[in-house]
Amino acid sequence: MTTTTAIKSDLEIQEEALPQRPGHSDWPQEDIERKIRPVPERYRNAIGKYKIDRLAKCISCGRCVEVCGYGVHVKPEGYALMSRPQDYLCIGPACTEAGSDCISQCPQKALVMSLNPNVECFGDPRWSSDLILSTWHEAETGHTPPSHLEFRHGASGGGFDQIRFKFEIPGLDGGGSRVAAEAIDTGLDLNRREDGRPQIHIDIPVYGGGMSFGSVSIHTILAKARAAVAWNSFSCTGEGGYPDRLMPYDDHMITQVATGLFGVREETIQRVRIVEFKYAQGAKPGLGGHLLGDKNTPAVARMRGAVPGNALFSPFPFHSVYSVEDHKKHLDWIKEVNPRCLVSVKVSTPTDVDMVAVGSYYAGAHIIHLDGSYGGTGAAPDIAKKNIAMPIEFAIPKVHKFLVAEGIREKITLIASGGIRTAYDALKAIALGADGVVIGTAEMVALGCVRCACCESGRGCPRGIASTDPELMDLMGLEWATQRLINLQNAWHEQMIGVLSRLGVSSIRELRGRSDVLCYLE
Amino acid sequence: MIDGNNNVNEIAERLLATRSQIYSGRDLRLPKAAEEGGCGVTGFACTVPLAGRFIYEPSVQMQNRGNGKGGGIAAVGLTPEQMGVPREVLNDYYLLQIALLDPACHAELERKYILPNFEVALSTRQPHIDDYRDLPGLEVCPPDVHRYIVRVKTEVLKKFAEQTGLGSLSPRDLEDEFIWRNSYSLNDEFYTSLGEKRAFVLSHGRDLLVFKMVGYAEQNVEYYQLQDFKAHAWIAHQRYPTKGRVWHPGGAHPFVGVNEALVHNGDFANYYSVCEYLKQRNIRQQFLTDTEVSVQLFDLWDRVYKYPLEYIIEALAPTTELDFDQLPPEKQTIYRQIQATHMHASPDGPWFFIIARSQPDKGKVQLLGITDTAMLRPQVFALSDDGEVQIGLICSEKQAIDATLRSLAREDPRFCPVADKYWNARGGSSTDGGAFIFSVDSQNGGKKLTCTDKFGRPVALDSGTVRCDLGVVQVYDKNTADPLKELVNQWLQKGNVESLFTYAMDLPSWSAGDLQRFCKLVVRGADNAKSRSTAIEVLTMLHDRRFYTGDKRGATVIRVAEDALEELLDGAPLFGEPVSRFWRRVNWATRDRLAGPRAGEEILIIDAQGFPPEGDDCDAVLLRKAYQAGWKRFIVYRLRGQRFHGAGLGAETNDVRIDLYGSNGDYTASGMDGLQICIHGNAQDQVAQIAKSGRLVIHGDVGQTFMYGAKGGEVYVLGNAAGRPLINAVGRPRVVINGTCLDFLAESFMAGDPLAGGGFVILNGVEFDQRGRMKPQQAPYPGSNLFSLASGGAIYIRDPRRQVVERQLNGGVFSDLSDKDWRLIRPYLVENERLFGIKIQDLLTVDGEVKAPHEVYRKVGAVKLSILASSKK
Repeated sequence: MTTTTAIKSDLEIQEEALPQRPGHSDWPQEDIERKIRPVPERYRNAIGKYKIDRLAKCISCGRCVEVCGYGVHVKPEGYALMSRPQDYLCIGPACTEAGSDCISQCPQKALVMSLNPNVECFGDPRWSSDLILSTWHEAETGHTPPSHLEFRHGASGGGFDQIRFKFEIPGLDGGGSRVAAEAIDTGLDLNRREDGRPQIHIDIPVYGGGMSFGSVSIHTILAKARAAVAWNSFSCTGEGGYPDRLMPYDDHMITQVATGLFGVREETIQRVRIVEFKYAQGAKPGLGGHLLGDKNTPAVARMRGAVPGNALFSPFPFHSVYSVEDHKKHLDWIKEVNPRCLVSVKVSTPTDVDMVAVGSYYAGAHIIHLDGSYGGTGAAPDIAKKNIAMPIEFAIPKVHKFLVAEGIREKITLIASGGIRTAYDALKAIALGADGVVIGTAEMVALGCVRCACCESGRGCPRGIASTDPELMDLMGLEWATQRLINLQNAWHEQMIGVLSRLGVSSIRELRGRSDVLCYLE
Repeated sequence: MIDGNNNVNEIAERLLATRSQIYSGRDLRLPKAAEEGGCGVTGFACTVPLAGRFIYEPSVQMQNRGNGKGGGIAAVGLTPEQMGVPREVLNDYYLLQIALLDPACHAELERKYILPNFEVALSTRQPHIDDYRDLPGLEVCPPDVHRYIVRVKTEVLKKFAEQTGLGSLSPRDLEDEFIWRNSYSLNDEFYTSLGEKRAFVLSHGRDLLVFKMVGYAEQNVEYYQLQDFKAHAWIAHQRYPTKGRVWHPGGAHPFVGVNEALVHNGDFANYYSVCEYLKQRNIRQQFLTDTEVSVQLFDLWDRVYKYPLEYIIEALAPTTELDFDQLPPEKQTIYRQIQATHMHASPDGPWFFIIARSQPDKGKVQLLGITDTAMLRPQVFALSDDGEVQIGLICSEKQAIDATLRSLAREDPRFCPVADKYWNARGGSSTDGGAFIFSVDSQNGGKKLTCTDKFGRPVALDSGTVRCDLGVVQVYDKNTADPLKELVNQWLQKGNVESLFTYAMDLPSWSAGDLQRFCKLVVRGADNAKSRSTAIEVLTMLHDRRFYTGDKRGATVIRVAEDALEELLDGAPLFGEPVSRFWRRVNWATRDRLAGPRAGEEILIIDAQGFPPEGDDCDAVLLRKAYQAGWKRFIVYRLRGQRFHGAGLGAETNDVRIDLYGSNGDYTASGMDGLQICIHGNAQDQVAQIAKSGRLVIHGDVGQTFMYGAKGGEVYVLGNAAGRPLINAVGRPRVVINGTCLDFLAESFMAGDPLAGGGFVILNGVEFDQRGRMKPQQAPYPGSNLFSLASGGAIYIRDPRRQVVERQLNGGVFSDLSDKDWRLIRPYLVENERLFGIKIQDLLTVDGEVKAPHEVYRKVGAVKLSILASSKK
C-alpha cells in the first residue's frame, strides 16, 4: 500500500492508481492460447471400445495398414513386424459392415475383433463406458467422437438420459432453418443486475466447478484454470484456500466462501472477479464438505491452517447464516470486501429451491447456481448421493418459471450443475431454463478419470487426478492436462454450434427456456 | 398431570373435540405458504404507556432484516381515552380488529359474524393516511382496519355452552373460546377458503391490537397514524418472505392466540410434525406459516391446558444434556413428563419468539422473549430502571435497543439512552431457561416492571442510584479562575491520562453534576494534537472501564462519557473547513469531499449518523476509500448499527487502527488482516469472522459466531460471547474472553499446537459487581458443549473449583497447566490487565488467597478422535 500523506483530492483517480484494487489481480496474468492440439492418452495402452487381436499367422504384409482409415495398424519404418494394434482407435463393427476393413481384407485372416472386456468393467449407467471413452476422445482430439461411441447421453434411464432434442427422434420436427455456424454466439453475460458492478462475459456457457486444494492435485487445479483462461471462462478454487500458483489466472478464477471458511481471506476475495457462496452441494445436501484425514497432507493443512492428518469437516450450514436476512448480510459483507466482484450463490435443490432462488436475488446475488444430485465424487456418502435433493432437470424449469413469474428472470443468471456430463446435457439444461452450466466430473474424466470412486480414500486417486500425494500427483503433467481440457471444451463447443445451428438459433441465449425443442422418452 | 385435576383434562379434551363443529370440509395438508428464515424482531414493555413512534425507531434500524413484504406491530396495555371506552370496558371487552382486504365485504361480514353474536360497545374504522403511495416503497395498499369492541351476547354464550357441552368452563374461558372460534370461522369464510382473500381477523384479544401490512413494520405506524397512540408494550416484526409477490398481509406477523401476540425470527424444520401434533388435538391452520403454529402451541398450552408459563417454555424449548441433570429432581420429573408428551411439538430449528400478552384480569401486561435451545437466532435483552420509569426491551440486535432508548431519551428525560443491563438468554438451559419475562403490574395505583427468567428468578438491578447525566452543568467561563480547570488543562497538555483518570475515580464522592463538569473541562481543554489525543483517551476510559461509581447510576456515567466524546469529536473540522492539525472529520453530508490526509493530520473522524448500514454508500465503504487515500487512524462515532467496519482493507494493514463508538453492527472486523480495531461497547454478531491477523479489543460483550473460521489475530473481550464463538477456527487465533460463552465454544477448533505457535482461548469466566470489582461467574462455562470435535488448539479456562466436567467436552481432554502453558498465556493476561484493568493477581486469587496458576487455570486440549484420524497409523 502507498504510505504517502500527500494531498489527494480525487479519490477515484487515487483508486485507479492503487496497486491493490479489489476485483483486480495485481499479478501479471498469463495468457493461454485457445489452440487445439492432439494429446494422446498418458498411459501406454490406451483403452478403446474394441479390441483387435493379431494372431500368430500374421505375415506382416501391411495390408491392414493400407485399409484402415483410423490409424489402428502401424508398421514402423525399418521394422519387419507390425506394431501392436492401436485398437483404441478402432470404430468396430461399423467398419466391418462397409467391407473395406482389416478383418475381411487380411489375407491370412490373422485379425480378430471383439468388444474390449475392459470396457465392461468401468463406467456405470450414468457415466457409461461409451461416455467415458467419448470424453477421452474429445479431450484427446478436440473434436466430436466417431459414431461408434454414444457421446451425447448415458444409459441411466432417467434424468437427461431420457430427454432428447426433438430433432434426434426420427419423425419429430426439430425446429427452424439452419443458421450458419460462424454466425452462432455461445457467449454469456454474467452480470444482469445493472447494479454498477462490472460486466463479465464468458465465451462459452460453461465454467468449471469448485474443487479444493486437498480434494484434487495442484496440477488438476492449474489445468482447469488454464483451460478457463483459454476459453475465456472461469474455474473455481473450492474451499480449500487459494494456492499462490493460481495467481496468474486470477481473472478467471472464482473463489469460494464455503461453510468451513477454509482458506478464505480478504486478499483472496479481493483478487477475483466472482465470489461463490457454497451453501450446499447437490451430491450431499445437508452435509458440509469433508476431507478425510489421509488427504489432509502437511501441504493441504498448511493452506487451510489446520492440523495435518485430521479429517476436515465443513459444517452445514453456515454457522452465521440461519435465515435469509443473514444471507443478505453475508452477501453484503463480501460485496463490501470486494466492491467489483459478482456474487454467485450455490445451493442444492430442495423442494423450495425456487423460493431460495428468489430470496438470493433479493439478497443481491448475480448468479444463482443450482447444484443437482447427479454429480459428486467418491467423497460424498452413498446415503446422500442421488437420494436427497430434487433432480436437476426438474429443478431448473421450476426455478426458471418462478423467476419469470416474479419478473426478475432477466436480472439474474441461472447456472445449473450436478451431472452435466456432455455438451448435450449442457444444452438440455439451457433449453430447460438455465443460462449456463458448471461442470466437474466431465473435466476429471477428460484428465483420465475412470470413475473408480476412490477419490476420498487413502492417498486418493490411482490416476493422480484427485490426489495430493506427491508421488501420485506427478503422474500427470500440467501441459498435458491443460491441453486435454482445452480440447474437451472445443469438442463441446463444436457440438453446441451444431445443435444451435440445427435448431435455427443464433445464440445460446435464445435457447434458454426453449423446452419446446425437447421431448421426454416415455 | 400438572395439578392432578382430571377435570381440567376432561374439559380440555372436550373443548378441542368440539372444535370440529366449526371445521368445514377436510383438513387439507397444505405446504407452508412461504419460507421465511429471516426477520428482525423487537419489543419493549414499560411502566408508562409509550407512543407508537417509539416502535418506529428500532423497526427502521432493522429494516435490513426484512424486505418490505410484511411488517406488523402489536400494542398491548392500552389507554381507555384513546380507545374511546371506559377502563372497565377496555379490560373486559374484546378488541376484535379485522383487516378488510376487500372493503366491500364489510356489511356481509358484519351481518354474519358480528351483529348476531356480540354486544358492540364501539365500532370504528382505524384512521389512516389518505394515500398509501405517500409512503415511499409501499407497493400494496394496506387493508382497511375495522375495530369492534365487543362482548359475546349472554344468550349466544349460553347456547354455545349447550351446543358444546362446555358449560363447566369458567365464563371467561367459555367466552374466550367463543371468540376464538368465531374468528376461525370468519377467517375460514373470508380468507382461507377463497382464492381471492377478502378479510381476516388481525386480533381479537383484550387490551391488545395488531396491525400488519405488506410493507415494513414502521409503515404501520405511519399509515395507521399510530405515532401518538400509546401502549405499555409494543412488539414489531420485519418480515423477509422469500416468496416473491405478496399482495396481502395475511402471512405477516404478529399472530395471535387470544390475549397474546407473537412475532418470530427463524423457521422450523419440523413444521409438518408440529402440524401433525396440533391435528391430533383438533387444531387446524389457516395461514400456513411457522408463526401461526407457534402461537397455536402457546394458546393450546396456555389457555386450553392451563400450563404455567414455565412449562410452556419447557415444552417449546426443552432442557437437555448437562442442563437437564443440573435441574432439581422435582423439576426433572415434571420436565421429563412435558418432554415425553410434547417433544414432537417443540419447534426444531432456529427460532426466537417475542410475545406480548395482556392479562387484564390481573392488571398485567407481559413481554416474553424465548430462544431455541441452540440459540441460532440473535437475541438481546435489556433493562433500564430509572426508579421513576422502567423499561424492558428484547430485540434481534442491540443497536435497535439503543435506537429505541435514544429516541425515548430525546423526548422524555426520564429515559437514559444507555440501558443498565444487556444480556442474552441461554436456550434450554438450567440457568435461565432461555427465556425472560418482563411484567408490568399495577401496584399502588402505579405500575411496576419486573423481569424474571423462565424459573421465575428475578433479574436484579442497581436500585437507589442517582443519575449523573441530568441537569444543566455550569458552563465554564473562559475568564474565571477555576483550579480544576487549571489542573485538567495541565494534565491534558502533558498527556497525563493516568492522572486524569485517577482524578475521575473519585466519582463516588462527587455530586451528580460533577462528572459532566469534569468531562466538559476535558472537552474544552483539548486544543492541540496532544491534548486532544489525551482527552479522547481519558473519556474513552471513563466510557469503557468498569469501576465503582458510588451512588451514580452506571448507565448514566457511560452516557456522560459518550456525550462528551461526541462533543469533542464534533470539534474536528469537516473537509472544506480550515485545516487543523491532528484530525479531520467527515459526515454523511460531506462524504463526497473526502480526501487524503494533509500534513499533520493523523486521525480521520467519521460521524456515522445517517450512513446506511450496508451497500455502496455505507460508512465502512467510505472508511475503505479513506484508507486507500492514505488515512491510517480512524475514529467512527455515532454508530447506529452500521456493519462491516474494518472489512475490505485487505492484507498488510498493520499500521491501521480503527476505534468504534456507538452501536456498532454485524460483521465488524470480519476478515481483518493486520489492523487494530477497538470496539468501545458491546459488539454484535459475526465479529472477526475469518480474521487472519491483527488485534481486536471489545470493551463489552460480543454476539453470535464470533471469530467463525478465523485464522489468527489477537483478541480481547471484556465481557461474554454469545453462541458458537471460534467455531471452525484454524491457524493461530489467540483470544482472551473475560466472561463466558452461551455454548459451543471452539467447536471443530483446528488451531494446531498452542505451544508451537498454534491458537488458544483463555476463558476467565468472571464478571463485575456493582463496585466494579471482578468476581467469578456462577459457572465458568455453563454450556454442554466445549471444544467439541476439536483437533487442535487449546482452551485455558479459569476454573479453580473444577466446575467444568468431562462430559461437557467431546473431543477435548483436561490436562494440568504446565509452566510452559503459563509462560505462553501470561503475556496475554498482562495485556488484558493493561486494557481492562483486570489484574492477573485478582485472577489468581481464589477466596482471598493467591494461588499458583495451575491451581486456577485448567487446560483443555485436543485428543485424537478416531472419527477424525487418518487410516495410517
